[in-house]
Amino acid sequence: MKRLPDLRVPGALTLLLAAGGLAWHGQPSLEQKWEFMAPKLESRLQEREVYIDPAELLDLINDDYIHLVIYDVRSEPYWNEFRLVDSEHMLLNRLPAERERLRGLPDNAVIVLVSNDEKLATEGWKRLMVIGKPNAYILEGGLNHWLNIYGVSDEELDTHGRASLGKPDGTLRHRFKLALGDRHAASRPDEHLTPDREYTSRVRLLKKIEKAGGCG
Amino acid sequence: MAPYDLVASLGVTGSYLVYLAIGFAFGFILESSGFGDSRRLAGQFYFTELAVVKVMFTAIVVAMILVFWSTALGLLDYNEIWVQPTYLWPGIVGGVIMGIGFILGGYCPGTSLVSVATLKIDGMFFLLGHIAGVVFFGETVGYITRFWHSGHMGFFTLPELLHVETGVVTVLVVCLALAMFLGFGWLRSAIYGKAE
Repeated sequence: MKRLPDLRVPGALTLLLAAGGLAWHGQPSLEQKWEFMAPKLESRLQEREVYIDPAELLDLINDDYIHLVIYDVRSEPYWNEFRLVDSEHMLLNRLPAERERLRGLPDNAVIVLVSNDEKLATEGWKRLMVIGKPNAYILEGGLNHWLNIYGVSDEELDTHGRASLGKPDGTLRHRFKLALGDRHAASRPDEHLTPDREYTSRVRLLKKIEKAGGCG
Repeated sequence: MAPYDLVASLGVTGSYLVYLAIGFAFGFILESSGFGDSRRLAGQFYFTELAVVKVMFTAIVVAMILVFWSTALGLLDYNEIWVQPTYLWPGIVGGVIMGIGFILGGYCPGTSLVSVATLKIDGMFFLLGHIAGVVFFGETVGYITRFWHSGHMGFFTLPELLHVETGVVTVLVVCLALAMFLGFGWLRSAIYGKAE
């Protein structure tokens, strides 16, 4: 039987070259990874499939069957000024460190990213997709929109009223005399006292959950 | 971008056929490499037979290079690949138990299945022992839950341990593999006085 040629040395050199080339080329950054994934995911942003109405977020907050994670991706001064109850302060550059936690989330987990408008939260959503494609959404219109709905009482309408949502620039357009954090009434509006608001539900759970109640 | 959702594109039956084909090819390569023979497998522990170590490590290194080149070129989303979380202490104890079982029985779980496929009687007995071990473990793990979850380090990989780029780790692992191949060859020559 004809003996096969000895390819050990060429094989070893090929492996070394391929590994060396990889070290030289490096792995893609988060931005490059998003560019790779964009053809598949960009349409979800453009068709606004992942932007949820404030009323839907309020329903999620009050739904005991949902494992809700709210990432507030704004800078600390804004976070101190006003935030939602149980939201987590998560600057964009800290999101990669959340990878392991995201992987361990249950099937009924929903992540909602919030910022003053939609700009920063959309950046955060892109990063989350790169990190691990969790079931993540963005608060439509940001906290400016949220405060327009839940943060302006009838008496306040005459003083500062509702903020304009046009031309988003990343700023909080509502003014607070004090940095109230999550002690503002709109940080967790009472669902029974807020007006009913119709919305198109966009949140889809990874797995359907069985809701049970009473003694059964 | 991979990994692809086979169930979505081929349906449940189609995807299962793909899994079956991959499993068959894997078993075929194991058998072709001599992994269905307990004497060859056990020989690696005595440095008399080094094909197993070489085939396994070559496969690991080639897969590593292909996976990370694919992620570098945007062909594969590495985050979608399941990485087993590290539980250090049970991992070490489990490794030792498996090593002892490997030396005593001459097989690891996968290779015992390969040997059963070629109707080797020792492989069948090993597989029975394996199943008994799985049942025993499953029934008793509840008593050692604290130890079972000890040393949890999450999705811990070499780049995180060494704080270097993935590409550099790949070079190091390739060098380690090549050094090991050479070292084992020399060791065998030193012990048994014959060149490979």
